[in-house]
Amino acid sequence: MSDSALSISPAYLHAMLSGLTLQHGTPNVLAHSVATINCPAGELYAQWKKLDAIPLWQERVASVKPLTDRTSHWVMKESEKKTVEWDAEITADEPGKRISWRSTSGDVNQAGEVRFEPAPGGRGTIVILAQAFDLPGGKAANAAAGILARSPRQTVVENLRHFKQWTESGEIPTIQGQPSGPRGVTGRAKEFALGETNPTPPGSQRSA
Amino acid sequence: MKAVCWMGKENMEVHTVADPKIMNPHDAIIKIARSAICGSDLHLYDGYIPTMESGDIVGHEFMGIVEETGSAVTNLKRGDRVVVPFTISCGNCFFCKRQFFSACDNSNPNAHIMEEAYGSSGSALYGYSHMMGGYAGGQAQYARVPFANVGPLKIENDLPDEKLLFLSDIFPTGYMAAENANIQPGDTVAVWGCGPVGLFTIASAYMLGAARVIAIDRVPERLRLAEKQFGVTTLDYSEDDMNVLSALRDFSGGNGPDSCIDAVGLEAHANTVAGIYDKVKQALMLQTDRPTVLRQAIQAVRKAGTVSIPGVYGGVLDKVNFGAAFGKGITMKMGQTHMQKYMRPLLHRVEQGEIDPSFLITHRVRIDEVPGMYKTFRDKQDECVKVVIDPWAA
Repeated sequence: MSDSALSISPAYLHAMLSGLTLQHGTPNVLAHSVATINCPAGELYAQWKKLDAIPLWQERVASVKPLTDRTSHWVMKESEKKTVEWDAEITADEPGKRISWRSTSGDVNQAGEVRFEPAPGGRGTIVILAQAFDLPGGKAANAAAGILARSPRQTVVENLRHFKQWTESGEIPTIQGQPSGPRGVTGRAKEFALGETNPTPPGSQRSA
Repeated sequence: MKAVCWMGKENMEVHTVADPKIMNPHDAIIKIARSAICGSDLHLYDGYIPTMESGDIVGHEFMGIVEETGSAVTNLKRGDRVVVPFTISCGNCFFCKRQFFSACDNSNPNAHIMEEAYGSSGSALYGYSHMMGGYAGGQAQYARVPFANVGPLKIENDLPDEKLLFLSDIFPTGYMAAENANIQPGDTVAVWGCGPVGLFTIASAYMLGAARVIAIDRVPERLRLAEKQFGVTTLDYSEDDMNVLSALRDFSGGNGPDSCIDAVGLEAHANTVAGIYDKVKQALMLQTDRPTVLRQAIQAVRKAGTVSIPGVYGGVLDKVNFGAAFGKGITMKMGQTHMQKYMRPLLHRVEQGEIDPSFLITHRVRIDEVPGMYKTFRDKQDECVKVVIDPWAA
């Protein structure tokens, strides 16, 4: 392997995650996900930056409105009843290569970075997503939410998965709303336990 | 519409449910003309496949007429006649581009479940548990078909449905099993299981140049069908004085078969002590699969030979003779069929009259009769080999 070849080693990820700084306090949950997407880095970078497209592929995000060049206002439907809102700013931006951000005020305290690295052998782009959260309840809350298949950690994984599905295949697969026979109590309990009640983001043409 | 729903172990019911709708831009809705019960559906019926939910519409072998297409479907239109593959594939990911369609990255909405179980997720399947995507299946009057530009095979001949239906799964599955077996001209091939996949595997083994095929089963009518249709030698493992391993060694001139194919999978039956051991462990949930056939195939195959596995396995296997596999330096190939790679060339073989896939149909039923047919098929009653469903027959 040549010296310049990308090596997403534990040390690489550790450095990337420790580089994430919240506006205040220290993160109690760090999460990352890596995916190879069969698209050029420049295209993926451009898709990631389209604020009005974010609700199409990020779970539960209702809207993202630009405030200035580097700042935006986010609205997320955490559940049917609960909406959370925050402002975010871009802290680093290298076109085609990397974007970092963090929340500056509002209901969440988080930071994140995404990198787009050309995959060897012309296999598209390796996308590395790292996020840091200061969650009320911390690791315990993360673990508890994990039982319901949607911990913050799993949300990071699903968001990158949905980004890949959306950019690579043009849609996000879903079974929500398809016909079925009577589910009964056990069927509904299983749907919930398997995480199927989390709304699938609409993907390209299923706009809300 | 009417649909066959899994309501729990050994409990299939026909329910009237909502018609499927276009949900994504690459979807199509198919009005189903013919559907079938697959041997692998019996694993659902018997409760061996985890993450089924009561109410799930089952069935993954179907064909019909395009009723409606989503905004991004470009190569199908209303009225087209299509056979639908049982795997759902996006066509654009690393795996699809290399024709590993059943390893598609982008079709499974529940990929995280399979990631936990297997390390990574394969393609979604119709009507085959939520780990495999949870998509409603095709033992119904209509089905929603995602990624319709990539999946359905358009039919432009006048052949009857029954000659085309099995391009949806079992013919390609049997063919890939034979291809995975690395058959060379002059080879001797042993096939365990003369169910529908086993029968197509036998047919395909000859297409790929096998000199001799030997088929192993215990169901008399299936052994007779294999013999009558393809002229294979058969072994009935349930006969008192039958030693399958020694018979295979003799048949292959002392070497063992060049290729051994397990077309049975996780619910194998056996007349041996090990077979009873497996059944007890499976009942106590100490193992999920009964690998009787796999063990025998590994033991039987010649040195440096190939074991090919089209039979479905789902979980953790006990007492697999891996030492024999290593000691003989064998190759093992397996997995869900890369359907879209095989459907068109096999359609061509059907159109050329090389094979009439309808030879194995024993039962033609209405949708209301399907729940009962699961039991008939599972218990091999009434000489049942393959059940075809007309979902519109009254």
